[in-house]
Amino acid sequence: MSSILEVRDIHTFIGQFHILEGVSVSVTTGGITVLLGRNGAGKTTTLRSIIGLTPPARGSIHFDGKPIQGRQSHNIAQLGIGYVPEHRAIFRSLSVRENLQLAERRSGDFARKADFIFDLFPDLKRLIELPGGNLSGGQQQMLAVARALVPENRLLLIDEPSEGLAPVIIEQLIAAIQRLSSQVSVLLVEQNFRVASKLAQSYVIIDEGHSVAAGAMADLVQDKALIQRYLGVA
Amino acid sequence: MQSLTPSSRGGWLRGYWLPALLLVFLILFPFIVGALTESSPFGVARGDRMVMRGESVRWQSVLIEVYILAILAMSYNLLFGFTGVISFGHALFFGTAGYVLGLLLEYTALETGVALALGVLAAIAVCGALGLLIGFVTLRLKGVYFAIFTLAVAEMFFIFFGRWQLTRAEDGFAITDLPVWLDPSQSRISFYYVALALAVLTFLFIRRLVNSPTGAVFKAIRENEDRAQSMGYNTLNYKLLSITIAGMLAGVAGILQVILNKKVGPELLGVSYTVDPLLMTIIGGIGTFSGPVIGASGLHFLDVFLRDAELVIAGITIDIANIWALLLGVIFILVVIVFPFGIIGTWQRRRATRKQRAVTTGHPPSA
Amino acid sequence: MAGRASLIAIALILAALFGVAFANSSSPGDFGITLLSGLFQGMLLFLVASGLSIVFGLMDVLNLAQGSYFMVGAYVAYDAQHAGGVIDLTSVLPDPNLRFIGAVLAAIAVGALLGYLLERGLLRPLYSRPIFQLVLTFGVSLVALELVKFIWTTTPYSWTELFGVRESFFELFGQRFSTYRLFVVGMGIALIVAIGLLLQRSRIGIIIRAGVEDREMVQALGINVRAVFTLVFTLGCAIAAFGGAVAAPFLGASTTLGNIFLLQAIAVVVLGGMGSYSGTAVGSVLVGLAIAVAQDTAIGTAFAALPSITPMLLLVLVLLVRPSGLFGKS
Repeated sequence: MSSILEVRDIHTFIGQFHILEGVSVSVTTGGITVLLGRNGAGKTTTLRSIIGLTPPARGSIHFDGKPIQGRQSHNIAQLGIGYVPEHRAIFRSLSVRENLQLAERRSGDFARKADFIFDLFPDLKRLIELPGGNLSGGQQQMLAVARALVPENRLLLIDEPSEGLAPVIIEQLIAAIQRLSSQVSVLLVEQNFRVASKLAQSYVIIDEGHSVAAGAMADLVQDKALIQRYLGVA
Repeated sequence: MQSLTPSSRGGWLRGYWLPALLLVFLILFPFIVGALTESSPFGVARGDRMVMRGESVRWQSVLIEVYILAILAMSYNLLFGFTGVISFGHALFFGTAGYVLGLLLEYTALETGVALALGVLAAIAVCGALGLLIGFVTLRLKGVYFAIFTLAVAEMFFIFFGRWQLTRAEDGFAITDLPVWLDPSQSRISFYYVALALAVLTFLFIRRLVNSPTGAVFKAIRENEDRAQSMGYNTLNYKLLSITIAGMLAGVAGILQVILNKKVGPELLGVSYTVDPLLMTIIGGIGTFSGPVIGASGLHFLDVFLRDAELVIAGITIDIANIWALLLGVIFILVVIVFPFGIIGTWQRRRATRKQRAVTTGHPPSA
Repeated sequence: MAGRASLIAIALILAALFGVAFANSSSPGDFGITLLSGLFQGMLLFLVASGLSIVFGLMDVLNLAQGSYFMVGAYVAYDAQHAGGVIDLTSVLPDPNLRFIGAVLAAIAVGALLGYLLERGLLRPLYSRPIFQLVLTFGVSLVALELVKFIWTTTPYSWTELFGVRESFFELFGQRFSTYRLFVVGMGIALIVAIGLLLQRSRIGIIIRAGVEDREMVQALGINVRAVFTLVFTLGCAIAAFGGAVAAPFLGASTTLGNIFLLQAIAVVVLGGMGSYSGTAVGSVLVGLAIAVAQDTAIGTAFAALPSITPMLLLVLVLLVRPSGLFGKS
């Protein structure tokens, strides 16, 4: 299987702190890969390093075979990578429509994708003129994912989509992410192991800034010792 | 951060020999210049009075101005360099102190010595209170509000005193009533030692303060206020302390300036007494102990030497005096961009990395 | 956007200003003059404050050189309009009205160019050190002042070239009103609306509003935020220079313009709420009117300094009572 994203041994510093000390991640084309690990292990920083918000000091990142490390964030995004950050980061004073329009890379992107997006998240159609700040947490999360679907992205980086959401909403989101994964590859950060195991085909475990294990999700579910050691859940 | 601590191997003099030598030189300075230029450090006697003439006396003035600017810059550095709070109205404290002292000396019927003592105390107290008040109003907010507020209040005071008839508006008023021992037009050398002593005391005081536990909190606030707060410190109180002390020290500089010039006027509140300490601190090195002193002396000496110089570019003669402020501004911008740590800061960093390299080999320091 | 409390506050301030203005004036004509003069000053202030506010909201840079762009605009326009300056347009455009348009365009061009250079050349390297940006713009304002002194000397220029709209007036309630002031007020209102529409309706406006909230996320969506910064900063400086140019026929060109307008504009921006566009528009009008009323009040009294310190007094008051300003988020 070919991989759309190949992260090799990256090291990232924030200020003087050495946050990532050798992380390697591979995302297969058309699949969902999940980053697992404890709080503060470096999962979010890994996503931010890929999108260029905290550029790695060493190591390499290849997207679609081309090196992208060291490029500016907006250039990386333009190659076809969508970022759905932790805590949603939707624009609260902009309407839902404006939030989606902002994500256009070519004019008309939103019009082209509107049907697909509203099919995936029917709620958004109804809320289209409301300011983003008025949406509930679940609706904001849907907007954040939808925003990443407006341009022609081939890879989505999604950070903790289930955080703070009610179980019903989480089920909706899982269904949506499963559906869209037929069209784009996904690199997911997810603390909720149940959600992660439902969605992903492969996993990478990050611990204290190192990637320590990787493989097929089906194998990990069996390996209670590994889960216990790095994730602390049985 | 500081390099003045004595090394454990040598005696205490080992670490302090340079500053000690400098202090001895400054104490002897009036006599050295006097000997070199064959002029009396006490001025020229005319009848029962001393007239302030001659090279030694003239150079004493230049150094007194350096001491005043150094105190002002050190006060600015305490606030900006060590606590990370930026003020764009330091002239406010400088000038206000001058006016308070001047008003007590010239506009009250008190006896000279009493008026002087009261004036000095009142001036310093008013500056402290002013700092506390401004800090109290703005320091809770983003740092930029403090900068704006000091800029606005300084400008308001400048306009107000520039039009206030009681203090003779733009012209200002002269100080006529000073004790002989302090009067720079009667015994400059004693005023020279007063100013030198105050500059040295300010230096030692700030070093003591910054190296104390309180100073550690100041620096923690400068690095990351949220973190300092989460460590359990009431950062507002520490910032208030810093601005109050800085205001009082700037007041001391203002008092000395008024005595030296024997004049009070709105120019004391003008933008140049804000710009000068900012410039001197940044050029010398913010957040270092000797940086502001080096910046103050360097810039003032340059000013004195270049004031009468001329520059010929492509056949056009330009008086340096006319473009002095322009040159300063350009140097200022260059330093901010190229040497943000100033002379001393850059030098200390170079030395630190050289030491580090000697100790560790392997991982290069990262951004 | 604006809460009810803000609207009440605005109404109260306006009522107080109108009250004092009315008490001071002996006829409706007098009152009208004060009103027009206040609106005129308000519009000039808006031209400086709008750039200050939008740039602060988007880039977190308080551009302390914004007043200098106003001053430079005034000098360039003065210079271009009058014979014997650095740029002499008298032979190219003999008609003074046309020449004035040329002078204003020249000022805008110079303002835009200098703004572009400041952002690209000096501010860009400092985005990781915000406090130094503040220090740097302060330094730039000093250099700008010294350069102006060097080129045009320290003697203030008063506008001597008389041309059509500058000199004409209309009569109402037995008072003569300056058409030029009305013209500037009209243009100011048109600009307030135009910039407002740009912010609300255009893609660049959406980017700016989004950037005010979260620059990083805008960038992660594939938008070159730095390029938007440069554009916005350049526009802000060009508008300030435009303000100086249209003010020059009344205020002339002098080295004190920069500081005066910077401080007044800062008062406006803080009063309105930092980074809020509608706040800046409303704040400009309020501060302009307050200055005009103070000018009327101060005539022939001992408070000659009142108009000059009015903006600062307002600023101090606002910061004491409501530091986030009328339209600001608390």
